[in-house]
Amino acid sequence: MREEFYKTLSSPIWWGALVIAAIMPFVLSSYYVHILTLALVYVALASSWNIVGGMAGQISLAHSLFIGIGSMFSAALLLKLGINMWLGLVISAVISGILGAVIAWIDFRFQLGHLSFVLITLAFAEMGSIVVEGWDFLGGASGLLLPKDTGNFLAFQFGGGHGAFWMMLGLAAICVLVNVAILNSPLGYYLRTIRDNEKAAQAIGVNILRYKITAMVISAMLASVVGTAYVRYLTFADPYLLISPVITIEIVLFATVGGLGRAYGPALGALLLVPLGEILRGKLGSTLPGLHYFIYGIVVISVILVTPRGLLPLFERLWARWRGPAVASKP
Amino acid sequence: MTELYQALAQGLLIGATYGLLALGMGLVYGVSGVVNFSHGDFISLGMFMCLALYSAFAMDPYVSIIITVPLMTAIGALVYIFLIRPMVGHQFLMVVQLTLGLSLVLQNGILMVFGGEPARTPSFVESKLIILGDVVLRVPHIVAFVVSFALAIGLYIMLRSTDFGRSIRAVHQNAHAAALMGINVGRVQVLTFALGIGILALAAALLLPGTPIQPTQGLRYTVITLLVVVLGGMTNFVGIMLGGLIIGIAEAFGTIYLDGPIGLLLPYIIFVAIMLFLPKGLTWSSAR
Repeated sequence: MREEFYKTLSSPIWWGALVIAAIMPFVLSSYYVHILTLALVYVALASSWNIVGGMAGQISLAHSLFIGIGSMFSAALLLKLGINMWLGLVISAVISGILGAVIAWIDFRFQLGHLSFVLITLAFAEMGSIVVEGWDFLGGASGLLLPKDTGNFLAFQFGGGHGAFWMMLGLAAICVLVNVAILNSPLGYYLRTIRDNEKAAQAIGVNILRYKITAMVISAMLASVVGTAYVRYLTFADPYLLISPVITIEIVLFATVGGLGRAYGPALGALLLVPLGEILRGKLGSTLPGLHYFIYGIVVISVILVTPRGLLPLFERLWARWRGPAVASKP
Repeated sequence: MTELYQALAQGLLIGATYGLLALGMGLVYGVSGVVNFSHGDFISLGMFMCLALYSAFAMDPYVSIIITVPLMTAIGALVYIFLIRPMVGHQFLMVVQLTLGLSLVLQNGILMVFGGEPARTPSFVESKLIILGDVVLRVPHIVAFVVSFALAIGLYIMLRSTDFGRSIRAVHQNAHAAALMGINVGRVQVLTFALGIGILALAAALLLPGTPIQPTQGLRYTVITLLVVVLGGMTNFVGIMLGGLIIGIAEAFGTIYLDGPIGLLLPYIIFVAIMLFLPKGLTWSSAR
């Protein structure tokens, strides 16, 4: 953790943005609060994915597993075994972390290239969704319905609406802060070295296995925790949403649109695309189902073609040009 | 014993079509290093085109390939020229994201046009069965098997002994040297991609009779294709056909012998095992 991180922590802009975000529920109607809550879910998920996918450059498509464990498994623990959801959250996060470590170890042990890593993680994700859909303990194909959210904090309930928004805001802020912290710590430098040239990283003595596992475990545990919070907000644990590889693909695309490997990139992508998609779905979803995903796809393709490194670097370049050439841009 | 024969026969028949699906992807990967994650959605597109032609003109899927194959080939060429070619020079990983985005567009474009209800496209062979001893075979599967193998052999001959085939192989082995020999590498890449998508239109018609289709199925076909391609060593022609048969048989054994989810998992488990322990796939002879 270097100065950058403390500078962020003590930055008035950060806290100002957070406070403004926090009073949103008093200003907006419940429909827009719902949309913002969803956007924050994806901010948190895309930021947690970014640690592996952006910083270490490993396109993991296995994150639906961690989200699925965090949501379906903790819901099943509550409904089938009566285990408190706070405890369920911890258990799921630990399982996700272990699974993440195993995947990172497999990647290291078998020297998978980038492509093989994508494929293996996709295969794992497909297996995960098949297992959940076929296993009654996890709700099978019909999913699980959580008890009504009465606002009992000790039972991991936040009273829906506003409460859920603030909880998601907190989680999203933590995920983004973890990104900032890692990017400015030695771990962040090691991860970027591994991304840019794994052989060279190894040659100068970077312990690749250790840092890959560290990154994957942090990323997996964050995704799992967000999954638990998400399913509590949704109340219905839907396997076709929560453990389908499609959710990972969405996250990957949000992060790519915003800017891979940047602390705020994935957050930017999710904050732009989720409200866009949700509003389109609200307006046209009944007449044209699938339209919002269609638009996501078009936006993603255009962004990749126009500015392959994402929107954040593009905005920074425009900002620098507007401010004049004297301003040095951050690396 | 009957079950064993039944599983083997069913697996072989379906596996040949899986091999055909994968050949297109393998060719494209070999020539331009692109792995197309919207592959399965193009299969979907082919199937829904057949469905549209059936609902409009009552056209049998086997007949509608006259229209779908040229159409899909053209779409493939356009997609490559306008979307994928600008990315090929860039990072390989951006192509992954781009084709994932394309997959969302295709899948939900289909959903917007056809709706989300599972649909079937009847064919005149749909319900016909052939009974050999104790083994029951569905005629569409037999047609798919025969046509897939005929096409695979045709492709093989094309690659071996036509100028276009030789230029594909040349670009695959060394694009730089091929360019120096006067081969238009860009053109070969476009044509190969278009050919790969065109084959999918055929494969879609072969898989269609008796299979319920829905817009969200694309990803599963992409994964099956990837399994086969990787199993076959990415670019090895014979390896890919063999990989298709193995995945087909694994699937048939899984659904016949093992109950519930474990049966469906079998192809993936085999895939992960092969990926880890035989990372080059089944290419025992690396003559290249």
